[in-house]
Amino acid sequence: MSNRRSRQSTAGVSRISDDQIIELVSKLRQLLPEIRDRRSDKVSASKVLQETCNYIRSLHREVDDLSERLSQLLATIDADSAEAAIIRSLIM
Amino acid sequence: MRPPSSLKQEFLKKWIMGLQRCSTVKKNMSILERKKAIKLSADVAMASARNGKTCWSRAIIANASKHGSDKHLVEKILGPESERLIAKKVSTGALCNNRIRSKKILKRSWGIRRTRKCAPQVALASFIAKWLVRKRTKVLKSLIPGGEFMNEVCLIEETLDYIISLRAQVDVMRTLASTSEIVNHN
Repeated sequence: MSNRRSRQSTAGVSRISDDQIIELVSKLRQLLPEIRDRRSDKVSASKVLQETCNYIRSLHREVDDLSERLSQLLATIDADSAEAAIIRSLIM
Repeated sequence: MRPPSSLKQEFLKKWIMGLQRCSTVKKNMSILERKKAIKLSADVAMASARNGKTCWSRAIIANASKHGSDKHLVEKILGPESERLIAKKVSTGALCNNRIRSKKILKRSWGIRRTRKCAPQVALASFIAKWLVRKRTKVLKSLIPGGEFMNEVCLIEETLDYIISLRAQVDVMRTLASTSEIVNHN
């Protein structure tokens, strides 16, 4: 282990340590709603990856739904109302 | 990492800029066209809030700049820095390269041990675990913009940043949608 740690990268830039990577993975776990709520410390790598992918997909879907909602909202707004003017002046 | 509220403000500012630009360019859009415009503005605004510092944000900007009609929108949102940011390469070159050495370290830290002598069940379990990690890493790479250029460590860092930005984007969009609906119904 110590041999590998003392190996310098050819570019002379700082090495990535085991701890840094473990820290990154734990940060990722913190972000995922499913895993964060679970008590157990031991979550497998593939589970973390799976939850990450699911979470990102659900966020993408939400963005898509919200864009749809906003688009329909702007289409149905009564053109002359005061509210329309407010929203229009804000976004479109 | 920037505090979330200033990220949201930055995003909102740029998103609105983009939306206003879309509406001046094309007056009567269909619902679908408007939806695409809203989404595109949101994504580019989110990417520009990172100021070219992350791989995924550069990938979004690069993809959006490919189509002529969208390029003007990108330039509007990015502002005076647009030339520099659009020209920036997606792959971070030196930054990612020195992390390639940590590939082995990462694989080890996933807890997968290569044991020479072990019971068949353990070898099989370890094989399946490795295969799952590899498969899911591929999926993750397909989800993060510009992911195909990243090694594993870069991928995790980019994922962290991307998730935080996506959350901010969703929060702002949700707030705007709900308030607009409330204002509209009153």
